Amino acid sequence: MKWFINNMIGYWIFLLAISLGLSAICYEVFLKQMMK
Amino acid sequence: MFDFTVAGHVIPVFLLVLTGFTVGVVGGFIGVGGGYMVTPALIVFGFPGYMASGTDACHIAGKAVISSIRHRQLGNIDWTIALGMVGGTMLGVEMGVRLLNYTKEIGLSGVVLLAASVAVMLGLFIYTQIETQASHKKLDADRAAGKEIGREVKVSKLPLYFQRIPIMPIIKAKKARLVISMWVIVIVGMITGVLAGFLGVGGGFIRVPAMVYVIGTTSHLAVGTDLVEIVVSGGYGALRQSMSGNVDFMAVFFMILGAMIGAQFGSLATSFVRGPAIRYILSYSLILATVGAAMRLLYVVTGGTAEWLAFVAVVFTLGEMVFLCLFIVTLVWFAVRYQHGKSVPDWVPAMVVPAT
Repeated sequence: MKWFINNMIGYWIFLLAISLGLSAICYEVFLKQMMK
Repeated sequence: MFDFTVAGHVIPVFLLVLTGFTVGVVGGFIGVGGGYMVTPALIVFGFPGYMASGTDACHIAGKAVISSIRHRQLGNIDWTIALGMVGGTMLGVEMGVRLLNYTKEIGLSGVVLLAASVAVMLGLFIYTQIETQASHKKLDADRAAGKEIGREVKVSKLPLYFQRIPIMPIIKAKKARLVISMWVIVIVGMITGVLAGFLGVGGGFIRVPAMVYVIGTTSHLAVGTDLVEIVVSGGYGALRQSMSGNVDFMAVFFMILGAMIGAQFGSLATSFVRGPAIRYILSYSLILATVGAAMRLLYVVTGGTAEWLAFVAVVFTLGEMVFLCLFIVTLVWFAVRYQHGKSVPDWVPAMVVPAT
């Protein structure tokens, strides 16, 4: 976990994972029915 | 949930406010309008394509005004460069749109557009990333040697070639502290305008690197000056789109509501960081947008059969906005902690401005 914070690339990956996860949840919960 | 209907689709309002906020933060920080993120996001939310584009144009214009005012207060605008580029950009956009219409006539526009987007963004990402990493190494070396470091560190020698071009009139950009031929500024504006017109975007993600690596401004000045450009080009775009009936003003209202706070925060955030931090975030924006565009291109090329590609493209489109906003907000938080002498990750001190 420390590597993901202390290393810039690691921090990038950490934030990206959180962001993509939040977006996937948002898509599944709010947006999927709109795209059908 | 407080929703309203746009063109027959129920749109969750909080998503619009959130979009306005996140893109406001990103746009105020790296000097882009954010159309390449917002238009696909609005389409995902259920807006028809023409309405997504028009609504986004209005929102971009409003958000750029808010960010520009802040950047003017921070001293990040060179009016000579801004006004010089506006003329070139408007001409270039018109040429780019005509080129786009030509590719439409010969039946190639969809694939060509996406492929061109991928190529341009990937090229910009590679150059910006390489140069910024070299600047970061120089920053670390200078800090280790105990040297005094300014807000901007750049290793690219490219601007020096363009500043030596002797074609009259030669102008003095006072705020940018450089002397350059006006033709360089106008032609840079024109070329970036052609790309913007062809790709159907505002062009901030092309103009900001062009100002840094061709004209030779600092990253902070490029961000502020580009936002002035966006006020002009975005304002014109908003007017034309409104006249064509492509704008939902309620949606614009809610997005501007979020942008009112986001754009100011993003603009102020630039005063906490050094130039390489802005260029890093710009390059991340480019690579994520490239991946999203590449997914959309693959989806089109495979005949729209691979649903997982559409899902990945949507998740990347939304995730990019959240990622960039989170990165900027946490960077400011780390900067404040560093200025108060608290512990921060090892890579932070080189990226942020110490307490004065």
